[in-house]
Amino acid sequence: MSDSNKPSNRRKFLTNLTQIMGGVGGIFAVIPFLSSMSPSEKAKAAGAPIEIDVSALRPGSYKVVEWRGKPVWVVRRTEEMVKNTLEDDNVLSDPKSLEEHQPIYTQNKYRSINPEFLVLVGVCTHLGCSPLYKPNAKSAELGLDWNGGFFCPCHGSKFDLSGRVHKSMPAPSNLEVPPYYFASDNKIIVGEDGEKS
Amino acid sequence: MSNKLMAWIDERLPVSNFVKNHLSQYYAPKNFNFFYYFGALAIFIFVLQIVTGIFLTINYKPDAAQAFASVEYIMRDVEWGWLIRYMHSTGASFFFVVIYLHMFRAMLYGSYKNPRELLWLFGMLIFVLLMAEAFMGYLLPWGQMSYWGAQVIISLFGAIPYVGESLALWIRGDFVISDATLNRFFAFHVIALPLLLFALIYLHLAALHTNGSNNPDGIEIKKNKDENGIPRDGIPFHPYYTVKDIFGLSVFLLIFAFVLFFMPELGGYFLEKDNFVPANPLKTPEHIVPVWYFTPFYAILRAIPDKVGGVLAMGAAIFVLFILPWIDRCSVKSIRYRGMSYKVLLTLFVISFFGLGYIGMNPATPVLTWIGRLFTLIYFGFFVALYFTSANEKTKEVPDRVTMHD
Amino acid sequence: MIRLFTGIAFILISSLSFAASGSIPLKPVLIDLNNKSSLQRGAQIYVNNCLGCHTLKYQRYVKFIDHLSLSKETIENNLIFTTGKNGEPTKIGSLILNSVNPDSAKEAFGVMPPDLTLIARSRGSEWLYTFLTSFYKDETRPLGVNNALYANVGMPHVLSWMEGLKTPVNLEKDQYEYVVKGAMTDKEYKKSITDLVNFLAYVSEPAQLDRYRIGFWVILFLSIFSFIAFLLKIEYWKDVK
Repeated sequence: MSDSNKPSNRRKFLTNLTQIMGGVGGIFAVIPFLSSMSPSEKAKAAGAPIEIDVSALRPGSYKVVEWRGKPVWVVRRTEEMVKNTLEDDNVLSDPKSLEEHQPIYTQNKYRSINPEFLVLVGVCTHLGCSPLYKPNAKSAELGLDWNGGFFCPCHGSKFDLSGRVHKSMPAPSNLEVPPYYFASDNKIIVGEDGEKS
Repeated sequence: MSNKLMAWIDERLPVSNFVKNHLSQYYAPKNFNFFYYFGALAIFIFVLQIVTGIFLTINYKPDAAQAFASVEYIMRDVEWGWLIRYMHSTGASFFFVVIYLHMFRAMLYGSYKNPRELLWLFGMLIFVLLMAEAFMGYLLPWGQMSYWGAQVIISLFGAIPYVGESLALWIRGDFVISDATLNRFFAFHVIALPLLLFALIYLHLAALHTNGSNNPDGIEIKKNKDENGIPRDGIPFHPYYTVKDIFGLSVFLLIFAFVLFFMPELGGYFLEKDNFVPANPLKTPEHIVPVWYFTPFYAILRAIPDKVGGVLAMGAAIFVLFILPWIDRCSVKSIRYRGMSYKVLLTLFVISFFGLGYIGMNPATPVLTWIGRLFTLIYFGFFVALYFTSANEKTKEVPDRVTMHD
Repeated sequence: MIRLFTGIAFILISSLSFAASGSIPLKPVLIDLNNKSSLQRGAQIYVNNCLGCHTLKYQRYVKFIDHLSLSKETIENNLIFTTGKNGEPTKIGSLILNSVNPDSAKEAFGVMPPDLTLIARSRGSEWLYTFLTSFYKDETRPLGVNNALYANVGMPHVLSWMEGLKTPVNLEKDQYEYVVKGAMTDKEYKKSITDLVNFLAYVSEPAQLDRYRIGFWVILFLSIFSFIAFLLKIEYWKDVK
């Protein structure tokens, strides 16, 4: 269009139209390529919800299962442990569990559907180590004010018995709660919200 | 703002100059016809094959135990995987359609002649590499045709006296076509040959832009320039040929999309039925047929009743194209102004090429084999006859200026 | 949005297959992948009669939700009969496998029964339809049956409970008479086989369900684009004399 005479309106219009249509077509052509990189049916099948049978789990003990390549903990809390997991604004940084990765049905006092069973993704929100289960209060290792909970050996982050992070810890947020629901009293389905099925 | 940025870049990298020299002030003959779409289209398909190829390698597994399943995985479990795979498989066939037409154009209008012999040689190298690229790519799905096709072609190397057997063994990296062969073909197919092709395409274009394009009249437009030094029969590539090529591309895509979406197997020519059966070293398919674009050369191979002779004939059929600029001694380029002899010879050549292609696709019956021999004779006869007739061809007078037909 | 357009019916008469192995001509079969109930019946026949020996190892059950318009529960209750190592039911995301031991299968049939995911692509729908309707009684064969298309086939006539058993009156002319009655009439059996072949045609390339539909829109877009590009070319080339 570097011609000496000015391009006609028709020419400008057709040039614009071709560019717009070409652009739209180009965007549509890019979509398949980008979406081909999202998880395939195989990955989805491997990451499908899992079933955990908790009938044999004794109070105070816990169980680790793998879900989407990550450890998922199911802790059967004793009544004393449930008591020890009070929301304390002074100690905890997100006592009400309002940040991300905490389903609405666990944004409660005990971070669980049933206070007896705690379900967590066992990966520290700091740098991905797996914290240790330290259920006993007042330990020599963690001090007299320790109420029981989880302790990350990598960088020392402390979490309470509901997986809530203490204040001023390297870990920025509470331990993640995966979507889950109770299929029956002793059967937990992890990886899916209850209302869906 | 953008002018300032452009100036900043130009001081460091002469982008504007490049655009001027190769697009907006690159003067191409104004009389290009239908056959001049295929160069640009070939580049488009090359890019398409690279892009779809990259996305296929994301999910493909170059492992004899997993390759076939990984292709089906792409076809079913990867989102849009089927589309990307069909683009690549359809693209491979269309690449050859476009390249054959591109080469035919050169023969119609004498585009390989002085001063464009090197351009032709680069083009021929691209053609040979492209055949290697396609052949190796065809092994990757690891179907029956992949396997047995590769078996037959690699055995050809075994025909070479003395070193043949050890050469074939070296190419396979095993005593049979196996995981080792698949793995190395994958490496060549996805990186080695594409890199070489890229370099050769660059040289092909660099050579093209040195002397400029030929045209259907076979007239050198640079010999007739106006007072500003601009060829009188030239028009700037951009915008005139960019808009024309956009139109050409859109029509090409229309045909491409039709095949891709409605007949990706194209009745067994683009994707062979037997290739939907996993490779089985113990069971040969009833008819081993190479993909259609190899069949003319395959027919020449079969026409010679001798293993070494067949391989030599097939090699010669390709080699003779390399020296075409020196076989054709006629100084007139375009068929429009050449003598009857060339027109007849070229027609016979095209018929023999199609005929050989047809014969290569079908089982070797005695009748077809004899017809194949006749066509092989015509194929080579074209070059021999051309050498002798072209020196004293009765040509028409070539005009000074190009002519417009559409 | 896109779902709206699935209504556009593409009925495919399967292309002429050039598999020339058989002794009898192939019979035509109408493939219609938009006929979901036919696909569903075909899937049912397959899992009940064929899956015991022949896997569909590249296909996942979960695809039937979208492709066959079945609910997750229907698939789990009516199509998935296999179990995992510990007896838990096979998950819906799994590939369609069976629990045949390759060695014992080889012993029983002489060969491992092939996977059939792609059989409709390698053999063609017409071949499958002809094969499945060409079993006849032949006491000279170890399994008591033979096949007019695939002579000396190593497979029993698994569907004889449906079809019954016939002996040839004239093999070339496709004329038979039934010696054992099956659960179905000749017409019902042929319809069931059509459903089964339809299902196999779908399984061989599930992308067919998408590509015709999407292809239509791509072609439409490109036609308009070509037209605009043509006008643009004409407009610019007015300059060239």
